[in-house]
Amino acid sequence: MADSVVAIAERVRRGEVTAEQVTTEALGRIAAKDGALHAFLHVAHDAALEQARVVDAKRARGETLGPMAGVPVAVKDAICTRGIRSTAGSKILGSYVPPYDAAVIERLRAADAVVVGKTNMDEFAMGSSTENSAFGPTRNPWDTTRTPGGSSGGSAAAVAARLAPCALGSDTGGSIRQPASLTGTVGIKPTYGRVSRYGLIAFASSLDQIGPVATDVRGAARLLSVIAGHDGRDSTSLDVPAGDWETACGRNVKGLRVGVPEEYFAEGLDPEVAASARAAIAALEREGCVVRSVTLPHTRYAVATYYVLATAEASSNLARFDGVRYGLRVDPRHELRAMYGATRDAGFGAEVKRRILLGTFVLSAGYYDAYYLKAQKVRTLVRRDFEAVFRDVDVLCSPASPTPAFRLGEKVDDPLSMYLSDIYTLPASLAGVPAMSVPCTPTRSGLPVGLQIVARPLDEATMLAVAAACEAAFPCASPP
Amino acid sequence: MPDLIDVHHVAKLASLTLSDAEAARFEGELRKIVAFVAQLDELDTTGVPPTAHVQLDRLPVRNDEVKPGLSHDEALAQAPSVDGDGFAVPTFVESAQ
Repeated sequence: MADSVVAIAERVRRGEVTAEQVTTEALGRIAAKDGALHAFLHVAHDAALEQARVVDAKRARGETLGPMAGVPVAVKDAICTRGIRSTAGSKILGSYVPPYDAAVIERLRAADAVVVGKTNMDEFAMGSSTENSAFGPTRNPWDTTRTPGGSSGGSAAAVAARLAPCALGSDTGGSIRQPASLTGTVGIKPTYGRVSRYGLIAFASSLDQIGPVATDVRGAARLLSVIAGHDGRDSTSLDVPAGDWETACGRNVKGLRVGVPEEYFAEGLDPEVAASARAAIAALEREGCVVRSVTLPHTRYAVATYYVLATAEASSNLARFDGVRYGLRVDPRHELRAMYGATRDAGFGAEVKRRILLGTFVLSAGYYDAYYLKAQKVRTLVRRDFEAVFRDVDVLCSPASPTPAFRLGEKVDDPLSMYLSDIYTLPASLAGVPAMSVPCTPTRSGLPVGLQIVARPLDEATMLAVAAACEAAFPCASPP
Repeated sequence: MPDLIDVHHVAKLASLTLSDAEAARFEGELRKIVAFVAQLDELDTTGVPPTAHVQLDRLPVRNDEVKPGLSHDEALAQAPSVDGDGFAVPTFVESAQ
């Protein structure tokens, strides 16, 4: 594909096009198309051109360029970028300009990528539609009356509309996979610990993971190989080398055992999404995969487990926003406690407050054992489901989201129904295993549908091989 | 499951000031969510260890060495209010209750 990550990087490396030309074109597309989408919160026009010129100067000096040479990357606004505003979609960080780069941004720069801007998201990554952004929602390029999903909806919409060939998102309970599914892009949540979160504005630390969104599987694999690897500044970062994931994309899938969890084809699943996922699984079978039905019996408890644990962790992580060291301060009475309360009341939106309250409640005296500890124990049961099933199969395939893109406003007044839109992505998050969404057949009305592929911990290679086989059967399209 | 969630108490623990309208709305929503979460009670978790973190067994530890961080000026640059070389906060007097 001419506009893919790999194609752009190779053309820049060979000198067929300059990084500056590629960047100028990307900035032009953003200027022309993003008014209707609002995928970006900030376009880093000058910084991007400056970075592109650095890449071109490097090539002019005869230096070998990195694997992301001149490739425009859109970055979710929860990831800190030195000198570029990073708000996490919140008013409380509305004017925050980080004094340092996140680890993944350092790695992107070292690989000669160009950060073109910061993408919209649900405030502090809390949501599944980008409607919880303090700065207004993002629209789905396939149908602008619909959401691109969330919370990494801006990243997914930017890639779907080809404003950039790839983006970074973060996934706590499905925030990369669900928007990738709803926008017809490839999105990967790596194994927990694969990618450093140093510089990621935290939501729920036992779940948060940064990952790529791209127009194709190989591009996502390349971006993942650039951002993965050990970093001593994130104490959860695993000391394991990145795999050769681009080669894995070409691996034969014959003989691989594909498990189809029956709980993921149950009540609440849109029939067209079900048919599309089944067709993709049938295509894998034709490629020689051995398909069998499996069961993950604790699936139905994952949503409740997740909303206890993620909100508890969020209530603790978001305690840092106190109007003292950075961010918004509201100080009506010139008194400290009143300043904390007024700052947080003015700075946080309704969903963030709701989750802080729920998280504080489940951790509070008298309720900790009944809710928080109970949920941690159920998380163990969910993990054991995956451990058991991965003794018999190599990957799991299911829909990534129970529905195609829903309409803006459709679920915004019903928090519980919004939470249920993550039902297929939450279990893999709780288990810490790698998972991704890759496009399969769209619905009759032309809305994208994603197949979720889940693999054993650290086995992104097998997951990507299966994704590439699926992509060969159902190539990614771009919106009209 | 509690019949009533004391939203004002929870908000105080979370340093969140809520208007009465917000408090009333959140109380209803939280009750619905907590009722949903109560389905976890269906499961017998006797003897099941809690999961706080998925890969604690394979995490490396680093040496406890001092490394350079942000400069003083960089650390203060984003502060809403600075006094001399520190973060400025409003007065606070803790009541004895």
